[in-house]
Amino acid sequence: MQVTLKIFRYNPEVDTTFHYESYVIENAQETDRVLDLLEHVKGYNDGTLSFRRSCAHGVCGSDALRINGRNMLACKALVRDVGEKITIEPLLGLKVVKDLIVDMEPFFDNYKKVLPWFINDSPLPADGRERLQSPEQRARFDDTTKCIMCAACTTSCPSFWASDDYLGPAALVAAHRFVFDSRDEAAAERMEIVSETSGLARCHTAFNCTMACPREIQITKAIGELKMATITGRVE
Amino acid sequence: MASKPRTLPLNKRGMNFEMFMWIITRLTALAMYGLILIAIIGALIMGARNQMNIADVLRWGFMPNAGHVQSVPLENAEAWATPFWRWVGSALLLVAVGHGVHGLVVIADDYIVSERGRGVVRFISIVMMIGMSIIGLYVLWTA
Repeated sequence: MQVTLKIFRYNPEVDTTFHYESYVIENAQETDRVLDLLEHVKGYNDGTLSFRRSCAHGVCGSDALRINGRNMLACKALVRDVGEKITIEPLLGLKVVKDLIVDMEPFFDNYKKVLPWFINDSPLPADGRERLQSPEQRARFDDTTKCIMCAACTTSCPSFWASDDYLGPAALVAAHRFVFDSRDEAAAERMEIVSETSGLARCHTAFNCTMACPREIQITKAIGELKMATITGRVE
Repeated sequence: MASKPRTLPLNKRGMNFEMFMWIITRLTALAMYGLILIAIIGALIMGARNQMNIADVLRWGFMPNAGHVQSVPLENAEAWATPFWRWVGSALLLVAVGHGVHGLVVIADDYIVSERGRGVVRFISIVMMIGMSIIGLYVLWTA
């Protein structure tokens, strides 16, 4: 089958603004991934095309792109799912560095604000081994452990488009992962951070993040649970 | 496996002005549903089934102001102008203005990042909220 790719192009060393270029790929398969098509263009049509990729198996989160207007991983999007005419653009809300590559620093800056690491200063258990928790306690935050930090959620959020000082769904998911961990002892600090003006109150429950997440994390639900925690104080 | 309760005290759970207003906005939405339902049921009990069309009923439902029914050929408009309905109208007005103005502030906060800009918008919004409330209450209690 024939597939036409319309790709966002921008080279800051040459271009004053962005433009789109189209590439026709003959003999594509409906089971080809969009990443395969991008590799084809880079290999056979234009070696200057720039995009991020790493594992190519939906785990590293490097190749999140806007494909036909929706955020998804290029390595998980199949031709049969997105059609024969495919528009590929960089993620919205982050500065374009070149072609499909965006500057992820604002995203990671927000991520770091919620202290996304395990905090427990209490002495280890008497046997000196790991801090145990029940399967139920582990299940409480299981969904939010699946995040691969691809930024598909945050860059699909209208509140983040308007202002990148909003923590964004990914940072709130990271906060959820530790706030509801029975072994963690910094829930109060994180709740204070996520309740700032640029935090939970900026979420208008548009559900774009939940729709965009390639790991199918129930992000809006997780954010809702953090909101409820500010009311009830319960983080278990 | 033993687990100690994990409930954060009130001053450690991030309950600040932003989150307080987030809760208030949800509660005022529920309050509006209740007040509008009370007004519509009241209108039907008072005879709106025969004397008012659907537009009049809805106008009463969303703003139960006796002045809204005086233009309708009612046999007894005084029944609508009781203190009870003035209080229902006042409550609906204040809840709706508070809900709506806070909604505008939240949207404005999406686009205005500086503290000074947010302060200016909030000041204008609060002045607007007070102004609309005073005008609305004046109409409700003098109609």
